[in-house]
Amino acid sequence: MALGAGWLAFPRVLYRSRPQPVNFSHKIHADKAGAKCEDCHSFRDDGSFAGMPTLDKCSSCHAAPMGTTATEKSFIDDYVTPNREPQWAAYARQPENVSFSHAAHVKRARMACKTCHGNTGASDSLRPYQIDRISGYSRDIWKIPGRPHGMKMADCVSCHRQKGLEHSCLDCHK
Amino acid sequence: MKTNRREILMFAGGSAVGVLFTPAPWRLITDTALWSENWPGIPAPARGEIRARFTNCSLCPAGCAVRARCVGDQPVQLSGVTGHPLSHGALCPFGIVGHHLPHLPARVKEGPLKEAAAALADGIAKCGPAESVAVLDLRPSRTASWTYRRAMAALKNGRYVTPSGDTSVAVDLSKARTVLSFGVPVLDGWGTPGNVNAARTGFHLIQVDPVESRTASMADRWLRVRPGSEDALAQALAGRITHAAAADTTGLTVPEIAALAKELEQNGPVLVLGSSRLASGSGIVIARRETPVPEEWKKAAPAENLASLPDRSVRVLMIDESASAEYLSWNAIEKKLVGDNPVVVVFACSREGYARHANYVLPVGVYPEVADDIPPAIDSVAAMFRISAPLVSPPAGMVKPEEFVAAAAALGIGDTLRERADTIHKTGRGKLFTYADAKSQALKDVSADNFWKALNAGGCWIDELDSKPSPARLTTVAPEVRPAEESELPLAVVLTHELTPGSPLLSKLYRESNLRLAPGRVALNPSCGLDDGAPAVLETLLGKCRVGVTLDAAIPPGVVQASASPALLDLCAAGVRAKVVRV
Repeated sequence: MALGAGWLAFPRVLYRSRPQPVNFSHKIHADKAGAKCEDCHSFRDDGSFAGMPTLDKCSSCHAAPMGTTATEKSFIDDYVTPNREPQWAAYARQPENVSFSHAAHVKRARMACKTCHGNTGASDSLRPYQIDRISGYSRDIWKIPGRPHGMKMADCVSCHRQKGLEHSCLDCHK
Repeated sequence: MKTNRREILMFAGGSAVGVLFTPAPWRLITDTALWSENWPGIPAPARGEIRARFTNCSLCPAGCAVRARCVGDQPVQLSGVTGHPLSHGALCPFGIVGHHLPHLPARVKEGPLKEAAAALADGIAKCGPAESVAVLDLRPSRTASWTYRRAMAALKNGRYVTPSGDTSVAVDLSKARTVLSFGVPVLDGWGTPGNVNAARTGFHLIQVDPVESRTASMADRWLRVRPGSEDALAQALAGRITHAAAADTTGLTVPEIAALAKELEQNGPVLVLGSSRLASGSGIVIARRETPVPEEWKKAAPAENLASLPDRSVRVLMIDESASAEYLSWNAIEKKLVGDNPVVVVFACSREGYARHANYVLPVGVYPEVADDIPPAIDSVAAMFRISAPLVSPPAGMVKPEEFVAAAAALGIGDTLRERADTIHKTGRGKLFTYADAKSQALKDVSADNFWKALNAGGCWIDELDSKPSPARLTTVAPEVRPAEESELPLAVVLTHELTPGSPLLSKLYRESNLRLAPGRVALNPSCGLDDGAPAVLETLLGKCRVGVTLDAAIPPGVVQASASPALLDLCAAGVRAKVVRV
């Protein structure tokens, strides 16, 4: 009974789910529009990572509905027409005390996005965003079932050690 | 079914053991730790657009150009501006973390503004004919300094006081082939770090220092002399005393002194720092043009040294510690104050300096919260005008010292920085260097409005060089040292050089690492009999102060190295005698 509570009931109580504003399909954008990760999740001119695309980026293609699906209609009606930014929730958002550089990993180390983010780029829908009720952090930072990699400090350190890279605390905890 | 006590205990025990094999307890421990990281009041970095903003660092007189990486409006990383003609893209360790300074835990955030203004007005009204109202400006030649001078000219007995003499003297490091430094931290805080580094390969550095300072450790030659004997070496090199007499005093050998004299003769031009006994080579120390000011500002009180004020003559003293470059010991200041109820108002961000002795402490904004200009650094041969433009807003209730002093003297002032920028623009001289694109353009090609905008968005005005600059002389003010018996005070004091306000992070780092002697610490040879880290009391003829002890084998026996913090500077000067006793 204790095992059942700990393994099954506890996660349901600990994590609160929140749907993403739009059921976005990475697969459709990759297959039909031929989009690559960096087309939307781009780097700015100064080399910093822009993260989630803003509505401007979406509107450049979706100024009018591109298809007849309910998701498309909802996106146009709720966000594009009223020019309202979708409040995307970042699964892999790191805690405030961590400074993570996408430029260092993607541009300099030439790592593929899926090394840390898994096969998100081929997913057909967005899974619910789960928030830890106590810490307030995304569940995806931790290693969860079905994901190849976690995003904890131990995971960062492990990967750096495998590649023979040793760094000081201040590199990430600035 | 009846449940007995044994079964309840077995159930509870089994559950407790079972839970340990689930993620629940371990997850709760981690989550509780993470939760505590995000308690209200713990600062979290801002989220927002990432962009670069530019300013000039005003932590020290070097005034290096700064590129601030900002998230939203919050600066998160400071770096130098590549291509800057003087700072050459460099920033010192203090400058790199300068954006932490507003978060100084011990910062003064409120002060008795109305009471100070009333006491000031009362003091000015009571000022007798032989008494004076004075402003002590620790970083002269700023636009705020001109406001102080004008305000003091508007008062009947107003005096404007600065720590050192002529601020228009400049050093052209690029012309020196040898630099002979008597204890001056040439590579560790003197001049503009980027400019000194850029010129470093062009000169041979000879450092005369009683201890292995950071400059001594990086110099081409370090001459280790006895503490307080530097002047004897300078006299010998100037031919005033014999080499043998200097050798007796300094601890150097006669051949060493003779070789040094020969080297200075052969490898010129020589720049001499830290001694007035020897003149520098031709064209190295020059008089720099003054950065233009409006003509009407020149009806101002002259700049005076503290020593020129009669003792017990200052009834009202205002000290601007918001931008400091030098520190005058409180003993020297105190004897200038009248004996009966002098009014001392200090503008400061911390209570560690003159605030310890003031009647009223008024809080001020710090870098990078306030707009202030930075006079040209000592190693800038051209006149300059650069503004430390604010990157963040100051907390509510901060006082602008120049406005407060002007109001006390009933002097109406406008936007003085803008007025000075307009005056510079009218001269049409020099060039404007803008940081965002690292480009220069002639000032005459820029409109007055664009010049002002560029100065506030990160830029500096650099004057044309004089074709025939006038020679000048660096002056060194020797501290007043009372003689003391060596048997009573067995240690000779040597001072470190830092007086730049450090960020809380940097202070914590060097306090914990001892990479730099932290404020309130002294370094002694391990043979002194005290324990490393032990609390102790440093005593000189001027008083006592609690200190922390650092044992350092690089400090010779018979010497105590004291950090240049205000509390210790009030008691110590280079060459005084002291003792350190266990608490």
